[in-house]
Amino acid sequence: MTYLWASGVLISYERQDRRRDVHDGPDDTRLEEELRELAARLEPVPDRLVQSALDAYAWRTIDAELAELAFDSLADQDAAALVRGQQQERLLSFRAAGLTIEVEVTAAGPARRLIGQLVPPRRAEVEIRHRDEVVTVATDEFGRFTADRIPSGPVSLRLGPTPGEGRSAVVTEWIPI
Amino acid sequence: MVAVTGAMPTDPERSRRTGDLVTAAARGDDAAWKALVEQFSGLIWSVTRAYRLASADAADVFQVTWLRLAEHIGRLEHPEHVGAWLATTARREALRASRASARVVLTDDDAVFDAREAGGETPEQAVLRSERADQLWRAFRTLPARCQMLLRLLMATPPPSYTEVAAALDRPVGSIGPTRARCLRLLREKLA
Repeated sequence: MTYLWASGVLISYERQDRRRDVHDGPDDTRLEEELRELAARLEPVPDRLVQSALDAYAWRTIDAELAELAFDSLADQDAAALVRGQQQERLLSFRAAGLTIEVEVTAAGPARRLIGQLVPPRRAEVEIRHRDEVVTVATDEFGRFTADRIPSGPVSLRLGPTPGEGRSAVVTEWIPI
Repeated sequence: MVAVTGAMPTDPERSRRTGDLVTAAARGDDAAWKALVEQFSGLIWSVTRAYRLASADAADVFQVTWLRLAEHIGRLEHPEHVGAWLATTARREALRASRASARVVLTDDDAVFDAREAGGETPEQAVLRSERADQLWRAFRTLPARCQMLLRLLMATPPPSYTEVAAALDRPVGSIGPTRARCLRLLREKLA
């Protein structure tokens, strides 16, 4: 049996629940292994993506409250409406305890425009985190904010802590836009 | 990388190792995160391949899956099942991405885009000059979609567990072994 010694951690090179497969035979194991080698050569994980996975760790926030994605018009609207509507904007809604962040996303070529609203409304700095940059915008008295020229790809919003209200920072779930 | 030999660890032991990596990464251990990336990148990538995503969508799904883990790493209920958690996250994001692009344009499988951009012979062309590889890949591509999907996940490096594959397909784990056997038999028939 072979193990890989990777980053100082012993990783089993064979996943255990496969060994209970009564349908498996030596021919099957060999053929699957051959397919694996072929896939590794034809469709390897692109290096730049492995690097992005390593970099993702730097975005980890500590002690921030997570606002989960509660609604995405793309995923949650019925398919018929999507086909009929060909709508240009996408609506996202993130929810944390006592706070909702509504975001409307419109495409302008490869860039995205975000129009957001904090509910209940309040003045705040909103950090728009995308890949290797953070864009900060301020909300108006109605809790609204706008950000232009955000590149397409994964994005997450962060609101700083508001000690006056005893509220820690809030980050939204990452989502590709 | 050093290959060593020894007795296989038991199931709980393997899970504990993975769970330990998650716990260490949640505490800020860079090396543990790196080990998770090495262990599970192949699985997540294979989900994007199994769902036949275009290159930009595949990149988004792959990246967002790791960003989600970074955000959730201290909140996972079962750190030892992080592989299934990643596979589930990647599946949901893959479905979201296919829904989005279904409205725009259907793109052909372009996993080799990196090489094409670079010019010259693609890795695909180089690999497929071998007759056996060419035959095998062609036969694989003529399998029913269900089989291609399942096998493409099983083909990940390192080999994923059936639990992880089941999570990537949203199917019962008990169905993986029998379906795999059926699909490999079909493939062997096509090669004969």
